[in-house]
Formats: sequence, structure tokens, C-alpha cells
Amino acid sequence: MTVTRPRWSLLALALALAAPLARGQEAAAPSGALSEAVQKELAAVQDLIARATAEFEGPQQSRSIVQFDEIVTRLEVLHRQGTLPPRGREILSTAYEMRARAYYNIGLQEKAADSFRSLIQLNPQYAVSKERVSPKVVDYFNSVKKALVGYLAVSSSPAGARVSLNGEFLSLTDFFPLEVLAGEYTVEIAREGYRTETRTISIAAKATETLQVDLTRTLASAFVVTEPAGVEVWLDGQLKATTSGTPGPDLVEMVRAKGLDPARASGRTELGNLSLGSHNLEFRRKCYETVKRQIEVPEARDYETEGIKLQDSVASLQLRSEPPGARIFLDGEAMGITPKDLDAVCSGRHHVEVKHTSGKFVQDIVVSKDESVTLDCPIRPSLAYLGVIAESAAGERFIPDVEEKLIENLQQKVTALNFVPAPRDTVDRVLESEKLTRKALLAGSGVDPDIVRKVTIRLAEALEVQGFLLALLPGEKLQRTAVLNLLAAGNTVPDTSDVTFGESASYMRFLAEVDRKATLYRPWTGLITVDTSMYEGVPVLRVVAGSPAAQAGLQPAEVLTAVDGKGVKQTSDLLAAVEAKKAKDKLGLSFKGAGGAARTVDVTLADTPQEIPLNDPSLLYNKVMIDLLAQIQGYPGTETAAFARLNLAICAMHFGDFAAAHEHLLKARAELPARPGLSQGTALYYLGLALERLGYKKEAVDAYRAAAGFKDATLFNNDGPSVAPLAARRGGN
Amino acid sequence: MILRRTLLLVLLLPSLAAAQTSPEDQARGLLEDGRTYRKEGKLKQALDNFQTIVSGFPNTSFVDDALLEIGRYYLEVDHDAAKARDAFEQVTKRFPQSDGAPGAYYYLGRLTMERAAAATDIDDALAQFARVQRLYPRSEWVPRALYATALAHRKSGRLAEAAEAARRVALEHPSSDAAPAAQFELAQDLALSGDFRQAMEEFQQVRNRYPESEWSPLALDRITALYRLYGAGKPTFALDPSYSVGAGDTLKDVRGILMMPSRTLWVASDKVKSAIPFAPDGKMGPGLAGEDLQSMSLAPNGDLLVTAARAVRLGPRNLQTFAIPGSKPGETEPLEKLGAAAVTPSGSVLVSDEKKKKVFRFDGKLQYQAPFPDAKERQISRIVLDGEGGIVMLDRDEKTVRVLDEAGRVLRTIAAHGPGYDLRKPVDVAVDGFRNTYVADEESGVLVFSPQGQLLATLGGADVRKARAVTVDPSGGVLVYDEKLQRILRFK
Repeated sequence: MTVTRPRWSLLALALALAAPLARGQEAAAPSGALSEAVQKELAAVQDLIARATAEFEGPQQSRSIVQFDEIVTRLEVLHRQGTLPPRGREILSTAYEMRARAYYNIGLQEKAADSFRSLIQLNPQYAVSKERVSPKVVDYFNSVKKALVGYLAVSSSPAGARVSLNGEFLSLTDFFPLEVLAGEYTVEIAREGYRTETRTISIAAKATETLQVDLTRTLASAFVVTEPAGVEVWLDGQLKATTSGTPGPDLVEMVRAKGLDPARASGRTELGNLSLGSHNLEFRRKCYETVKRQIEVPEARDYETEGIKLQDSVASLQLRSEPPGARIFLDGEAMGITPKDLDAVCSGRHHVEVKHTSGKFVQDIVVSKDESVTLDCPIRPSLAYLGVIAESAAGERFIPDVEEKLIENLQQKVTALNFVPAPRDTVDRVLESEKLTRKALLAGSGVDPDIVRKVTIRLAEALEVQGFLLALLPGEKLQRTAVLNLLAAGNTVPDTSDVTFGESASYMRFLAEVDRKATLYRPWTGLITVDTSMYEGVPVLRVVAGSPAAQAGLQPAEVLTAVDGKGVKQTSDLLAAVEAKKAKDKLGLSFKGAGGAARTVDVTLADTPQEIPLNDPSLLYNKVMIDLLAQIQGYPGTETAAFARLNLAICAMHFGDFAAAHEHLLKARAELPARPGLSQGTALYYLGLALERLGYKKEAVDAYRAAAGFKDATLFNNDGPSVAPLAARRGGN
Repeated sequence: MILRRTLLLVLLLPSLAAAQTSPEDQARGLLEDGRTYRKEGKLKQALDNFQTIVSGFPNTSFVDDALLEIGRYYLEVDHDAAKARDAFEQVTKRFPQSDGAPGAYYYLGRLTMERAAAATDIDDALAQFARVQRLYPRSEWVPRALYATALAHRKSGRLAEAAEAARRVALEHPSSDAAPAAQFELAQDLALSGDFRQAMEEFQQVRNRYPESEWSPLALDRITALYRLYGAGKPTFALDPSYSVGAGDTLKDVRGILMMPSRTLWVASDKVKSAIPFAPDGKMGPGLAGEDLQSMSLAPNGDLLVTAARAVRLGPRNLQTFAIPGSKPGETEPLEKLGAAAVTPSGSVLVSDEKKKKVFRFDGKLQYQAPFPDAKERQISRIVLDGEGGIVMLDRDEKTVRVLDEAGRVLRTIAAHGPGYDLRKPVDVAVDGFRNTYVADEESGVLVFSPQGQLLATLGGADVRKARAVTVDPSGGVLVYDEKLQRILRFK
């Protein structure tokens, strides 16, 4: 397609009219992704320009004209549609230039001039490269250009304003004269925070027009410096800026004058575009107290605010756990091992997790500035919830509903244990390694108890828990009941509890039993008194050797008349008074001696370990075992762990698992003390019982005889019946 | 018409069917109601219910429970051992895997034990109890069977075994309903074995662990009795100056005093010719009349025996005379100078005749059997039981106290003289719950002997002028009738 040469004036008019259309079209051109058609067209044109350029540089340069014509035609279509992208504009400019040069080189200067004109109309600031193009062509181009373009320079106060000609962005002030097509323009000078100025100018070819515009401020700015840096500045509830950097040398004095430490202060941060009026400022930074200010902005100008100094807002946190040596995680970050003092803990809410092999403690806390908080973190054993299984296929469809109800009724309501939903894949992996399913953990599963025991231990290690809860939907027609199976790690027989899974009240009994803690220690004097109707008070029958009463010098036959000033009529009065105290507390005991002499003696209580009863229908033995496991894991190598093992053996015997009891007792025997009371002799006695039940009669007799050698060993607790005569009888002595 | 009726029936049948409950439900209902009746004391109605289950619902799962209840009725209410045994054996034979089976074995063992006449009977009973433990180790009947095992061993005199069985209940089943009784039994066995300190501790455990049980107050009495004798080194008895019971003629010519387990004190006064009860608060109750009263004793079933010269009152309504075969065949000779009488654990009646100078044994039907223990002449003025199968006889002439078993074998003897004592005029004897013997001597007061015959204490001195009768209360306090003072003194 050939371009005709319109008249200059007409051309100018056409340009003046066409420009807004073009700009409108360009403005409409998507700044984002190009349409597929345009992309295709652009790709085709790129191909064409490469061929045309090759032709241009070849021996038959004039042949390239046709190709450039095609490129121009195709791209002008896009240009008119307003869909010409910047790359297309470049190609079109190149095509115009090269076509013009080709025309020029074959002597068709008018045609060359037309091409140059089209180029200049497209891009008034276009310059032909002197390095690549012959000076004649350059001069010719420039001569064509001169006839078409004028110059515009715009400056503003303040500078940095956007200048648009007829809506099309030109440049930012202040700029030197830029080439623009001659014509009439509406010049818009705009800057945020200032009123936009508009001017109408007429630019003649070769003429230079200059605009100097004073912009009128409409918004204010405030400048802040904070100490420290990194402070969020919130304006009227929106985050406006974050201070950063450091004050430049020129601002050091200013910062100091604001009462801030230049070494810690931020650089000067602008809060621009503030509307006139009153604004609320908040300066926030973690671990610092929020500062609030109000700023009045009556005029559109810059305002310097006072220096903003934030005060530390930290607290200290002392973490103690029972047992100690637990890993601390504060908001997910490892912070050491208990006991631990953490200074400079930011005020506010924190998530505390304290983890131990025997369980964990989890709590959200809120600390205030300068508060010193001591947090006792009693480690609770963890119970892995293994989900629900159905006895029959028909029950499977109820599983999701039952799951939901069980979690709703158990998760936040079990307080003595951490209720932990177990990751399904971990559980499946461990069970599958022994070719088992969850059903193997239920009572009466028929699976070899040794395998069940091994699997529960492995599962507990994998999940970091001490026990498991698995719910079974029995094969009843009206599905209302779920059977909760509670199983301690290392045990083989679960405790079961029926619940009507949709009724919260039906969980109460189970929750009460799970939250009940078995009594493993109780305060103790070692004073054995008996009730008689002979005295006002209770006579002392025996004083246990080595006990607190023995250490206080108490003797049999004295009559106890009062405890801490309160009269004693029967032994239960003394026992109740002791039970109300704890180890290391003092108890004032008043006595009447044989001759009638009265005296009061202070006895410092100790703890006596306590055996779990072998058969107590009110106990959930698996829960007891979970607590015991936590003690063994929490206090390894201590007497506490040793007594816990003894009780674990008793629990195993409750379930008839004498093999497990035997294992526990062997360890307990090695760890228990040899002193009066519950001791090695106790473990040996029970070892004899376990061996007897396992059918090892000779070994049982040996154990009993060994037990009989511990003259001061007892059963039940340190006050209990002597092991020696019982063991002697069983050992055949 | 027929068509209409048929139609009506067809329409009614479904609703009739819906209204009927299953036999299983009906049997369950009858069982529950029967047990309720039993608790309410409506025993006959309870029995009817249970029998209806057996006869009317033989294929339900409640027949074993019903049979067990029937057996209990015959055992505990009718005292018909044969019918009871039959019911229990039906359970064990027909329903060996049922919940009722261990209970049936338990009751069979108890039946055997309570009627045991020989050691083999006890062994049979023990076998039944052992079966419960072996075959039904997790049954609720195991602790009861263990407790019964302890009782059986005690009955055989095997105190160590009894203590061990009782200890197992306390150790292994501390929450069972048999536990308080077993704990008490353990303590009692230890006391009878002579381990008094341990016994006191174990009695105290009854009070510490089971304070609300019926055994707790009994344990208090036992501890007091033991502590008085063995607790503080030396036995401690002190006259209770505030004690006063009876007045006037009731305290004249007193031939005997007897403290019952309920703490009612019987006073046999020949002045008023009655045995008169005094309640613990001192109130006098209606007496039992008797001419020429001689002595009193306590039967194993808790009945009071009042011996008069010619008859014995066996319980409140049974006045019995006794006769032995005469010198000629077919002839009988009445015993007219009775001095003492006792009922043995096996149900025999022993009566002493001061004229014949012998003790004669009569069986449970009061048929004469033979002299006891042999035909040797003795002047037995008192016969009491020691609570452990021993028969305690005071020989007035020889001034000795002998304890014999039912076969007449002498178990122990308190001789007329011994270290620290002389029995000069022993007139009465009493035994406490631990086989300690209390001998009232007109001249010496009251002498307390251990089961081994060792003198533990002498009560009297200036306090007792002439001891004529003695008894012991449940807490080991000693009551003495002083003939000179005409008062009953209490030493606590």
C-alpha cells in the first residue's frame, strides 16, 4: 500500500484529530497480556521484518520495499485498532525508516519523505542513527522532521510532575525541549498531592514552546523519625509506612534535637498525601509499646513530627516442668530446656509447648510489659486417638459422623492427658509392618499378645504418646453406641467404655475415670496407732523404723491425743490430718505418756509410695499404666521410676499378663531401694507370684525365699504388712 | 358373622403379637422382681418368681440365676441343705459356663463346710472354693470363695492357711464385698496364732479401710481386748467405778452372769428365780423363769442356755429335761442335779450332772449318746465354748480348767497351780474371742490366762471380796459378780 502525501495543514489537523483517537485506542490497548491474534500477527511480522531486513541489506535492496509495505500495512491495522504493542511500534518505526531509506537509495525521495513523515507521526522523537545510516539520508530525515516537529519544554515547581499531551504521557518535569509533532495540545501537568494544571498550547514546526507551571499543593506530608527503626506507622488504621535506615549526617543534629539517639534512630520517613484535618498515628513494633499520636494537618505542606521513641515492652518468663529437662518451644521456636528463664519475651500472646519423652504441656499465655511470669508446666502424658472402626460393613457409613461426635466430646474435655489425633499414615505404616489392622488392638482380637505389645510400643515411639484410644462401632442394628477402647503402650488388653456417641452426658463417666489420677504417693508419718475404747486418744502400737515418727523419737504405748491442736478420738482423725498435708510439712502431735505427762512433738512428713490395688473395679488400669509410663520416662533411674515400674507390674498382673509383669519386676527389683517399706523385697515377692502363675515353680520358690530375706520389706505401702512371713510361707519355710 | 369375626381376628393379631414380650425379657423381669422381693423380705414371693423361671422359661439364659437364688433360699431361709444342694448342683451340671456356676460352687462349698463333721468334709469344701478360683478367675465370686477358704481352714485349725487366704482377699480384691470380712478374719487368725501385735494392726485396717462396714465396730472391740492384754507391755485392768447394773434382789444369790455379743448382760439370780437381761443402757428386760438356777452359756447359734438343777432352757422357748439310760434295759434315769450345759459346734448338747459327777452328751435331737469325754467321774461346774470349737470345762474338785475338742481330746489345761497363781476355789470360767480364759476364784478374784495357760493378770485384790461369777464383754472388759458386795463389778 503506498502512502500519499497529504497537505501539511490538513495533516496537522488530521493529526490533531487522530491523536486523541490513537491515544484513546492506545490507552485502550491492553497493557497486560496480548491477545492471541495480536501475538500471532506480531510473530508473523517479526518474521517478515527479519526477511525484509535481510533483503534490505542484500544486493537488491529495493526488493525489500514490498516487504516493508506489507509490514507497515499490517501493523498500521493494529495501530488504528489501538492494539499495537510497544514491540510492534518499534517494528513499525523500523519498517518506516528502512522503507524510506530504500526509497531514498533508489532515488524516490518523495516516497522516502512520505515514509519518514509517517515515521515521525508515529514517533516524533525518533532519530535515525548517524552511525548506521549515510549522512545524506540522515540529513534528509532531519529535514523532513524539521517540517513536522516543534519542541516543548515543561518545568514545574515542584518538579517530578507527569506531563501528558492530549492525555498521552510525555515525560516528568523538569525536561528539556522534547520533539513533538506540531499542533494544538492540551497539556496536563499532574503530581500527587498537588492540583493538576492544564494548559493549551500550539506548537509550530521548528518552534519551541516552554511551560513553567507552579503547582498548588492539595495534600500535606509528615516526616517521622523513630527510635528504633523498623517501626510500622499506621495512619488512621492503615499501615502507611515502615521506618528504616539511619539518619544521614545532615539529620543527626535534628534527630538529637528530637530527643532520639542517632545511633538507634531511623531515617526520615515521609508520610505523604495526607488529607487536611486530623489524623491518628500509631507507631508499632513487636516487643515495643505502641505509641499513639494525633497529628493536625490544617494546611497542605510538610510537617515535621516530634521524635517517636518506643519503649521496650518485654516480660520475663520462667518455665519449670515436672519432670524437668523438657524442650521448650515458644511460638514454634526452640528456646532451650526446662528449667529455663527467658528474658526479653515480647509482651502479648504466646503459644507455649513444652515437650518431654513422657508427654507434653501446651498452653497459650499473655504476658504484659515488665511482668515476670513463672509458668509451671506439668507434663501430661499423651493419648493418640486412632479413630473409629466398624464391626460390620453396615456400620461403616456411620464412621464420619461418629468421628465428629467423638472429637467434639473428647478433645477439649480430657484434661489429664493430651488428646492427640494420630496421623493416619503413621499408624497404618506401623501396623502394616506386622501385618495388623487397628482391630488387633481390641479386646479379644486373638492376635498374639507379644505382637500386640511390641506394636503398641513401636506405635507409641512413633507418635510420641503413652497410650491410645480407638472407638469401635459394634454390629448393632440401631447405631447409637460406640465402645471406647483405651490401651496403654506395652499393654495388650484395653479398658472399654460404652458411650452413646451422640449424647454428651454419656461421656461423663469415661471422662471422670480418665481424668482421675491414681494415688501413687501419699504423705506419711510411720506412726501406727490403734483405736481402743480405753483412752481419750489413740495409743501408738508401732513406729516404723526409719520413718518420720521414728526420727522424731516417738515410742509405742504413748497415747496420741491431738494433732495440730485438734483432738484425736480415733486413728482416722490422724490419717485425715496427714492426708491433708504433703511431704515436708510439719505436724504437731500431742501425746500423753504412761505417767500422764503430756508432750508435743513436731513430725516432718515424708512420702510413702503406694501400691495400686490388684483388682479395683473403679480404676481404669490402662489409664493408670499411661500415668506410670509417664513417670518411668519422666524420671528415669530414680526411685520414682522404680516404684512406677513395680506398679506397672501390678497393673500387668491385673490383666493376667504375668509375662509382662515378670519383665517389669526384674527391672524394678534392680532399681528399688533395700530399705524398710516398699522395696526390693516387695518386688521379689511379686516376682514369685508372677513366676508361679507362669508355671516356673522352682524359680518362684527361689524368689519367695529371696523376698523372705528382706525382713523390713512391706506390701501396700511403707506401713503395710511385712513381706517376710508371707514370702517364707510361700517359699516353703 | 364368621367372616366378620375372622376379619376382626386377623386385624387384631398383629397388635397382639406386638404387645407380647419375648420369653427372655419375661424371664429377666421375673428375676429382677424376685431379687427385689428378696431385698424387701418377701421371700416366698421371691421364691415363686425364681421357680416360675425354672419351670416356665427353661430355655432362657436366666435359669442358672434362678436356680442359684432358689438354692440360696433353701440354704438361708428354710435351712434345707438337701434342697439347697440340689439346686446348686443343677447349676454346676447343666450350666457350667454360666455366670451362676461359680456362685453355685461357692454355695456348695459353704454347705459342705457348715455341716462338716470330719476333716475330709472341710477338704471337700476347700475343693469347691478352689474350683471357683481356678475355673472362673475373673468372677466376682472369687473373693467370696477365698474368704470361705479362710473360714474353712480356720475351722480345721489351720490358722496360717486361713490367714493367707484372707490376706489374698485383702491384697487382691480390696474393693470386693468380701474384703471387710476377710480383713477381719485375717486379724482374727493372727490373734489366734498368737501374733497379737500384727492382729491389732490388721483389725485397725478394718477400721481404716472399711469404716462403714459392720465389721468396723467389732474390730474396735477386738483391738481393745487385745490392747488391754498385750498392747502396753502389761495387761491393764482398772475398776470402772461408774459401772452399775441391776439392783435389789436381782443381785442376790447370783449363780451366773453372761455377756452376749449384743452387750446384753444376763444375770441368773436364784433369789428372783429368773435369768434377767439388762440392756447396754441398764434397762431390765423380761426374764426367763427357772427354779434352782445354776449357770448360763451361749450356744453357737447365739441362743442363751440357762441351766437349772432339773432342766435346761435351750433358747427362750425350749425347756428341756434330760435322762440317761437306767441300770435296767428300757429304763431311764432323769438327771436332776444339773450344773452346767452347752451346745457344741456340731449341735450336740453337753450337760453336767453333779450327782452323777459326769458330763453327758446328747445329740441334736437330744438323744442320749455317751458320757463326755469319758466315764471318769468329775465335778464339772461350768461348760462354755471358746468360739474355736473348743469345749471349756471347769472341774471344781480338781480345780482345773480343761479345753477339749468335740472328740473329747484335751487341747489344753489350766492346772490348779502354776507360776504366780493358785486356784483355790474356782467357781466360774469365761473365754474371750482369743481363747484367753478368765477364771473366777472365790478367794483370788479373777485370773486371766493366755491360750497357752500362762497367767496374764489377776483382777481383784481389794476390789473383789468374793468372786462368784465372771463374764467378758466384747471389748475384753471383765465383769465379776461379787457375792459379798452383791454387785457386778466391771474391770476395763
